[in-house]
Amino acid sequence: MSAPITADPAAAEPEARASVRELHETLERTWSDRPGLLGWLMSVDHKSLGKRYVITAFVFFLLGGIEAAMMRMQLARPESRLIGPDLYNQLFTTHGTTMMFLFAVPVMVAMGLYLVPLMIGSRDVAFPRLNAYGYYTYLIGGLFLYTAFFLNTGPDAGWFAYTPLSGPEFAPGKRVDVWAQTITFTEISAIIGAIELIVTIFKQRAPGMSLNRMPLLVWSMLVMAFMILFAMPWVAVDSQFLAMDRLIGTHFFNQAEGGDALLWQHLFWFFGHPEVYIIFIPALGYVSTIIATFTRREIFGYPAMVLSLVATGFLGFGLWVHHMFATNIPQLGESFFTAASAMIAIPTGIQFFCWIATIWGGRPRFTTPFLFILGFMVTFLIGGLSGVMVASVPFDLQVHDTFFIVAHLHYVLIGGAVFPLWGAFYYWFPKLTGRMLSERLGRWNFALFFIGMNVTFFPMHLLGLAGMPRRVYTYLAETGWGTLNLVATVGGVTIAASVLVFLYNVARSLANGEVASSDPWEASSTLEWATTSPPPAYNFAHLPVVQGRYPLWSRTVDEPVVTGLRTDQRQLLITTLLDATPDHRHRTPDPTLWPLVAAVATGVTFIALIFTPWALVVGAALVAGPLIAWGWPKPKPGDPIVTEGVR
Amino acid sequence: MPDWLQSVLQPAGPQAERVHALWNFMLAVSVIVYVVVVGVLLLATFRPRHSEAELAEGAPGERGVTRLVSLATAVTVLTLFAFLLFDFSTGRALTSSVKPAVSIEVTGHQWWWEATYYHDIPNKRVTTANEIHIPVGRPVLLRLNSQDVIHSFWAPDLNGKRDLIPGKESSLWLEADTPGVYRGQCAEFCGYQHAKMAFLIVADRPADFQRWYAAQADTAKTPTDSLTSRGLEVFLTSPCVMCHTIHGTPAGATLGPDLTHVASRRYIGAGALPNTRGNLAGWILDAQGIKPGAHMPPNSLSPADLQALLAYLGTLK
Amino acid sequence: MSAVESARMQGERGSIDVSALPETTFGHRAVTWWGTLGFMAAEGTTLLICAVAYLYVQRNFQHWPPAETPLPSLTVPTVQAALMLLSIPVMAWTARAARRLELGKIRLGMVLSAIFALGFCVLRWFEFRALHTRWDSNAYGSVAWAVVFAHATLLVAQLGESISIAALLFAGPVEPKHFADVDDSCLYWYFMTGSWVLLYLLVFISPRLMS
Repeated sequence: MSAPITADPAAAEPEARASVRELHETLERTWSDRPGLLGWLMSVDHKSLGKRYVITAFVFFLLGGIEAAMMRMQLARPESRLIGPDLYNQLFTTHGTTMMFLFAVPVMVAMGLYLVPLMIGSRDVAFPRLNAYGYYTYLIGGLFLYTAFFLNTGPDAGWFAYTPLSGPEFAPGKRVDVWAQTITFTEISAIIGAIELIVTIFKQRAPGMSLNRMPLLVWSMLVMAFMILFAMPWVAVDSQFLAMDRLIGTHFFNQAEGGDALLWQHLFWFFGHPEVYIIFIPALGYVSTIIATFTRREIFGYPAMVLSLVATGFLGFGLWVHHMFATNIPQLGESFFTAASAMIAIPTGIQFFCWIATIWGGRPRFTTPFLFILGFMVTFLIGGLSGVMVASVPFDLQVHDTFFIVAHLHYVLIGGAVFPLWGAFYYWFPKLTGRMLSERLGRWNFALFFIGMNVTFFPMHLLGLAGMPRRVYTYLAETGWGTLNLVATVGGVTIAASVLVFLYNVARSLANGEVASSDPWEASSTLEWATTSPPPAYNFAHLPVVQGRYPLWSRTVDEPVVTGLRTDQRQLLITTLLDATPDHRHRTPDPTLWPLVAAVATGVTFIALIFTPWALVVGAALVAGPLIAWGWPKPKPGDPIVTEGVR
Repeated sequence: MPDWLQSVLQPAGPQAERVHALWNFMLAVSVIVYVVVVGVLLLATFRPRHSEAELAEGAPGERGVTRLVSLATAVTVLTLFAFLLFDFSTGRALTSSVKPAVSIEVTGHQWWWEATYYHDIPNKRVTTANEIHIPVGRPVLLRLNSQDVIHSFWAPDLNGKRDLIPGKESSLWLEADTPGVYRGQCAEFCGYQHAKMAFLIVADRPADFQRWYAAQADTAKTPTDSLTSRGLEVFLTSPCVMCHTIHGTPAGATLGPDLTHVASRRYIGAGALPNTRGNLAGWILDAQGIKPGAHMPPNSLSPADLQALLAYLGTLK
Repeated sequence: MSAVESARMQGERGSIDVSALPETTFGHRAVTWWGTLGFMAAEGTTLLICAVAYLYVQRNFQHWPPAETPLPSLTVPTVQAALMLLSIPVMAWTARAARRLELGKIRLGMVLSAIFALGFCVLRWFEFRALHTRWDSNAYGSVAWAVVFAHATLLVAQLGESISIAALLFAGPVEPKHFADVDDSCLYWYFMTGSWVLLYLLVFISPRLMS
């Protein structure tokens, strides 16, 4: 393990070197997890939790992919009897729920929780125990959904669960209740992740990293986090209203008693549209980071890039009715949402132009991450253009709820988020694991994914125009949709192959891949590349002092660092919001099992809520215990104590 | 391009034609935008680069690049405005305030379509299912409602879709330019058999439409021979009568489609199967095998009873 | 911090020595304050959503409350609203004492906050009855209960928190950061009581203005 760059350069002499080694050992003792399984479960280290979070989300991606593969097998031929309507309805519901709630948002949050403290020069997130609780809550929620699915109680009313179909009258049993409570789990973990990111970014940036020197990825995580905070509650409340209609006889959506089926849709889509930007905006951050590194150039137009991210975040809240054009909302209202939905293309367009300008002025290196970014640009653009098309009400009324929309959404989600994410995986894999992924396998991964994705989803534009609605388990041969569906299925197989290549690449690399240095790409600019790969438990021996927007590019030989933080307890440096001047030192808590216990108690409560409302009362007591225990002081010698005498 | 069974790309009425024109415009603009943006991207990525000095020399400079980016942004904004103008004018053209030639109340059920034709004289109102006839070249107004969950009425050859929301009525205009059969399908996920909830719009020449309407307004033919009489008797003593109406007989339940003129329809089971004797037999005996989850239970009838029933139903033209 | 202080912190290499910086702070300087703000944002949005549902469903009714349902009583809810407003200066006093590290005063303050919170919870029980409708009567009942119940969860959580903090302050050992916790608790208190005043106006007063 090479010495971190932020080590004291005065360590040339042996005594100085010894003191440096002593520093590392002390920090290691203070910051590392306890050994063994217990230590792993007690960890509050953002890196350990972040890696787990990413891997868990990836597992859900694979499960969602299997569901997609099964659907494609069924649709490959007309009137196929491979999968009947009941299983098929569960499949597309679980596929959507998994991809949106258990994969896409969590993986972006997880990447943020891992990368942001490193990128801003800090040692952990603001609330490490809360971070652990958020992860375990998410894990339990996902396990819950899949347990129910394998017990044939998987939700089957769509990931959007429109009422009255999802209500007590038309969806008997517990399937939709399972869905509603899965939402609760994922909502809690997302909001916790969002609060972590916001507070960490606001208050823990290294000295000198003023807001206008913050990396674009950190800006994108900040915008994403704010969107999560204000968007997630809408689906959480909506799903609880539905759960109450089903369990205790409320009438939120019951037209007969004054409720309203459209209330469901408004509340859902007020969350649902920001949701896709929550997924998309961090991807824009990956794109900027990867382009900067592999063209060895500052991203053109930093202020415009930041403002575009923020504008997209705000505008994203003003579009939701475009999901409801086919309902009987007034026409004047529709026009507003058409205009807003078209206008949101502008900030993203600006980002595109700035990236192209950056690439033009640089010298691209065609590494796998860069290939995925090129793939993103040519693929997402198609999704963006089809998105502007469906902003039109008359056109949308033709293609809404058809495979044209399936095409559009996958072009923007896979092209716009998954391709950059794959680029991010290849880019940061060395940092997380200390090994390089194979570039050769990476190219195969990219080629198969890119070709497979387009072969699967491009024909769906035509299928939608040719009259094929969504969420159909079969179709007549006379419709003529058979050939295009078969082509799409072949594309799906290709995507599956690309994922297998990726898994093989990862396995091979972990087993005996090339060892990665601190900065294996040799052109990275952000702070995470200033420490070892993987980073030590304490991230940096000395926190860096930042002198420019691209810290590693503006590094001087005798670069300044922060000294004076305690090494015998976990201490973070807190800085001011705007200019990141050092403000105070903050003690963060040691590892503990209580967040896991609290998450289990939370899980039991929400699962029991499917069966009885009294679970809320019992659950509140059950959860309160661990919550109090985790905050209760466990003083160590040397801690400051306040006694009665202090006035 | 093959002739599709139902498609946005083969408009057969004024509304669908307008949307098709809008689609052509948007497609053309999108292709141009895509080619230009990807072209510039590929140029930026793959353009030959030699020395650093040349790199610095050839670069337009910060101000130049800013101007280019601003120009590109301005072009984007203008293009979006052009799109909005075309879109709003299309939308305006699609709103209509003419008097409809025919008014039909369409009610969505899990998983079939009920259609009741409005007429001033109550006993001249026609109720049918899944096959909706309209006079060609005349505007038709559909009033849309649902008995259970949200459905969506979509006949792509004729117009965009409109959701059927229980408790909230909405409306949709249809007009066919040429006589023909136009297929449509439910386009809002509505449960098990959402996939098999299709309907037909049959555009008749005015004389044909009048003839059809008159026949539909009639009560059912009284059975004339022993086989068909036996068939009616089977109908009235089987579960059939719990759900279906045949005007002119004691059967008046409205849970399932009105069967008064079932033999006049081209398909059964909301487009699941062509209306042949064999298919109808299969449907009656075991609808679940064709449309699992549909609300029609299997029926065990003796072969003799089944033959009689089929004979009777065959007379209900 | 001032330019002089920050210059003094800089060593010869431009390194910054932070060992003299405090280890406890209050208000917007502290991370827990921001965390509290984050929870306020999420919970505030939740309360807003319930209010939105309340207003949306109203459009389906000719009369609000519906014809068979009496107007909600005003006595208990008004007492509750007044009590909440009254508690604010008490908590403000506690917050000031926390910033001055006055342990005796904050012990009293947190005991008072626990008593207030208990009072709120008891009154909340009667406020549900003051609605004169059940959650399953009709949509009016559902949204009225939703607003009041959503806020009730804040009250119950606060009761738990007040009792825990008070217990901690008496049992000890008390660290400086616990003073900051008391200060944050008071910040949250303003949100909890302030949001209720608005919701009280929505659920108990606004139906009267419509008749």
